[in-house]
Amino acid sequence: MSQVFHDIEKKIITSLKDNPKQTPETLEKSTNLSPDQIRRGVEWLKLKNLAIVNESKTNVISLGKNGIESFQKGLPEKRLLDLLKNGPKKLSDLQKELGLVFGPAIGLSRKNNWIESSSEQISLKNPPSEFPGEKTLKQIGNNKLLENDIDKNNLLMLLKRPDFIIKDILKSKEVTLTDSAKSIIFSSSSGAIDVEAKVPEIFVARTHPLKDTIDEIREIFVTLGFSEIIGNMTQSSFWNFDALFTPQDHPARELQDTFYVDGVLTKKIATPEQIRRVSESHKKNWRYYWDINEARKMVLRTHTTCVTIKHLAENKPDEAQFFSLGRVFRNEKVSYKHLVEFNQIEGVVVGKNANLRNLMGIQREFYKRIGITKIKFWPTFFPYTEPSLQTMVYNEQLGKWIELFGMGIFRPEVTKPLGITKPVLAWGGGIERIAMLKYGLDDVREFYNNNLGWLRSVTKCQ
Amino acid sequence: MPVIELSYSHLQKLVGKVTKKQISDFLPFLGLDIESENKDLVRIEYSPNRPDYSTDFGIALGLQGLLGIKTGAIKLKIKKSNKYPISVKSGVSKIRPFVTGIIAKNGKIDDKTIKQLMTMQEDLHFGIGRKRRKSSIGIHDLDKISFPLVFTTTNRHHKFTPLNSDKDLSISEILINTDVGKNYGDILGNASQVPIILDSNQQIISFPPIINAAVTTVTTKTKNLFVEVTGMNKDDTEDMLSVVAIILQSVGFTLESVKISGTKNSSPKFEPRKMIVDSSLINQTLGLNLTMSKIILSLKKSRLDAFSKGTNIICTIPSYRFDIFGSMDLVEEVALGYGIQNLEPTLSPSQTIGQTNTVSLQLKLLDQTMIGLGYLEALNSSLTSKRVLYDMTCRNTSKIFSVLDSKSLEHTILRDAILPGLLENISKNIHESYPQKIFETGTVFSIGNPISEKVSFSSISAHKDANFTEMKSILQSSLKTGFGIKIETKTTTHPTFEEGHCATVILNGVSIGVIGKINSKIIKNYKIRVPVVGFEISLSESIFNFKN
Repeated sequence: MSQVFHDIEKKIITSLKDNPKQTPETLEKSTNLSPDQIRRGVEWLKLKNLAIVNESKTNVISLGKNGIESFQKGLPEKRLLDLLKNGPKKLSDLQKELGLVFGPAIGLSRKNNWIESSSEQISLKNPPSEFPGEKTLKQIGNNKLLENDIDKNNLLMLLKRPDFIIKDILKSKEVTLTDSAKSIIFSSSSGAIDVEAKVPEIFVARTHPLKDTIDEIREIFVTLGFSEIIGNMTQSSFWNFDALFTPQDHPARELQDTFYVDGVLTKKIATPEQIRRVSESHKKNWRYYWDINEARKMVLRTHTTCVTIKHLAENKPDEAQFFSLGRVFRNEKVSYKHLVEFNQIEGVVVGKNANLRNLMGIQREFYKRIGITKIKFWPTFFPYTEPSLQTMVYNEQLGKWIELFGMGIFRPEVTKPLGITKPVLAWGGGIERIAMLKYGLDDVREFYNNNLGWLRSVTKCQ
Repeated sequence: MPVIELSYSHLQKLVGKVTKKQISDFLPFLGLDIESENKDLVRIEYSPNRPDYSTDFGIALGLQGLLGIKTGAIKLKIKKSNKYPISVKSGVSKIRPFVTGIIAKNGKIDDKTIKQLMTMQEDLHFGIGRKRRKSSIGIHDLDKISFPLVFTTTNRHHKFTPLNSDKDLSISEILINTDVGKNYGDILGNASQVPIILDSNQQIISFPPIINAAVTTVTTKTKNLFVEVTGMNKDDTEDMLSVVAIILQSVGFTLESVKISGTKNSSPKFEPRKMIVDSSLINQTLGLNLTMSKIILSLKKSRLDAFSKGTNIICTIPSYRFDIFGSMDLVEEVALGYGIQNLEPTLSPSQTIGQTNTVSLQLKLLDQTMIGLGYLEALNSSLTSKRVLYDMTCRNTSKIFSVLDSKSLEHTILRDAILPGLLENISKNIHESYPQKIFETGTVFSIGNPISEKVSFSSISAHKDANFTEMKSILQSSLKTGFGIKIETKTTTHPTFEEGHCATVILNGVSIGVIGKINSKIIKNYKIRVPVVGFEISLSESIFNFKN
């Protein structure tokens, strides 16, 4: 047998081989183990089918208050008859001698014809050679005895007397070895340990699961030939909205959707040429009074597109592929599906031959690399792209289509005023949504709760 | 985005030979998202640039095109009439200068249609009307009005019975006491005069952009309608009117013209626009090679008219399609008519080489170093609260950086430090096993003009034996392994840290951060039961530059 045993198990098995039926208490004595060690050891052996534990209930008898008094001083009737041995006595004297037990003693003795009474006197009549129950009383004494070891009739008689006998139920366990355990011979290599036993849990230090998803997405785009650009989270309304053809009276620009920075109007928002041409595009197409002070208001960026468009306007590349990744902000009520701050990826392709089908192709390739193959495209609307599409991906777990990245080609109304001459394909979307699918979360807030229980347990490779 | 509820069976009736499944399959390809379905009812989200999709009549026109049942532009048939003149008085020119309108006759309207028209009106008010500021609509029972009408002004004491009321109210009372008055009254400013439309019996029929008069209320018994649109810009009012006109025509009304005269105003023409687009732009943008006839067919399926001239497509755009700005919008119309589902994605081989940004790269290496030291990465919002940033950590609030009108009390202030958030994290994990060692890198903000954004690095350790030495070892090792640099620490005091256990972190003689044992008062504030040590240093000015 190649099984390895813990020292506790070995001691218990050895003891049971010598003495096949034992209670945990006797095992404690025979093995010198603590009650807890015996409890665990017996449990392990039970799980391995090496020990059997029989639980039984037995009635245990001991003496009550009156029983103990009778055991120490003799039964009341015996005490009465002893007093009468030397001749009859007055009723009142007997009462004084016997106290509380006088009543039962007289009653029982009369009933059995042991005494007779005449006027004020009590005298012996037919004293018994042995008092019923006396032997049993002595047998029990100060001990606890099993009910089965006691004469039934005598016990029954004593039970009728108040507070003579206490009956208890005793639960007991009896441990025996199974046949396979009886054949175990311990090897002499006593250094072996239980390699199957449970060990303490150690928590790994790790990157945040959301950060893992962000890194994964970054790497996909880098390998697809895209370069990462970064930009500020606080942006002027000019780059966040105006440059992206979002009119100043558009509902998305209102306080209830966008976070404005309290008390900062940025001085230098763009070059005078950029400001002039962007404002003209607004006036011509949206027909309203364009206010430069509105464009100066600083916001927490509502998308990373502001970083992209600024980069394009500054560099005017004829051919380029780059992406921007980072936190964006929306003034929303926080809920299981909405955060005020989340991460977005946004990418662009600039090139004279860039077209809508290429844009769709990049999406398909990206989704394939994060393990999503069932996708389709629907038309949608964004103020700054035309045509505009959105990707729908099928989620097997939820059994439905989910909206992921939005995409489109930057409008000429956006690119022309900024001097961008080549078509620009752009797409973007939230990363938390993808991470939620990856980690099977249904509450997006979990990513920012920093609940150590979750961070320490979530599987890294999903 | 606005949402409307429609019935499949009604759509089927309007579209013609079509199954329910065809409708639900094709709705998304019009750019309409199905929010939910319940038997015959379907809730649809439409884009604000297509207000004609705010009723099932408009959606039916789109579906007919896409399914090829009826294609080409929808023509407004408007009977010329001289019976309905409106004159505009000069008084309105500074308040609400423009009015336009149309007559719709012999229509049948049930409760459902009234409800749909009201929804359309509200969506138009909210979207292109910019909450009625730019333009707003009034729909009236024509038979309760005697023409000619005057668009003029009146004072705020003038009384009339407004819609949904049974008694006369003054203009001031309407502005103060009714919901619409409270919501839109500020559009009119403080001027003593307000715009009204009067009929020839001198009764007010409309008080734009606030409310109509009760007398012209539209009910299921109404047969003939008068629609007026007022606004700040002539083109905007006519755009809005043309959406209403096309829908009313689809409902079954016959349209008649209204004659408008007076200061800067004139009768609406509803003239379609002509736009030219080069077929090569279409094919190049979509990555297709469509023939001229295929392009024309696709545009017709998008309910536009088109013909070819050389390599150009000449397109006729009905007046209600004011969402079309230029040639790229026509490219999209071709794509929609062609069917997005028919576009096959392709991946063109990339000529460019991808690169991770240096900052991302360095932060990733720092992350790896911290993990090697046994620290778990945390992530907190940069928009957080005064409680976490300042109150709990006893920090100086003089440079507090708040945003306006946040809907969430927990997100009102941009963080100027990461460490307070990490302490908050530890306090929420007191039931988890120790040691707890976490770190975070991220952006911190400081207010100014310009606003400064810097990358910061913070870490804390909490367990029964946590001490200054341990934390300094971690900081020292992480910077040495991560960036090959050495720091020193010099005694200092800081409200977050315990006196005598706090130091400033110095790199090349410049302070870049602070390290120490967290003040016992803060530990008590947070009911943390073990000592906590931590540090925060700025990476932007020191380490990243140092490296570069």
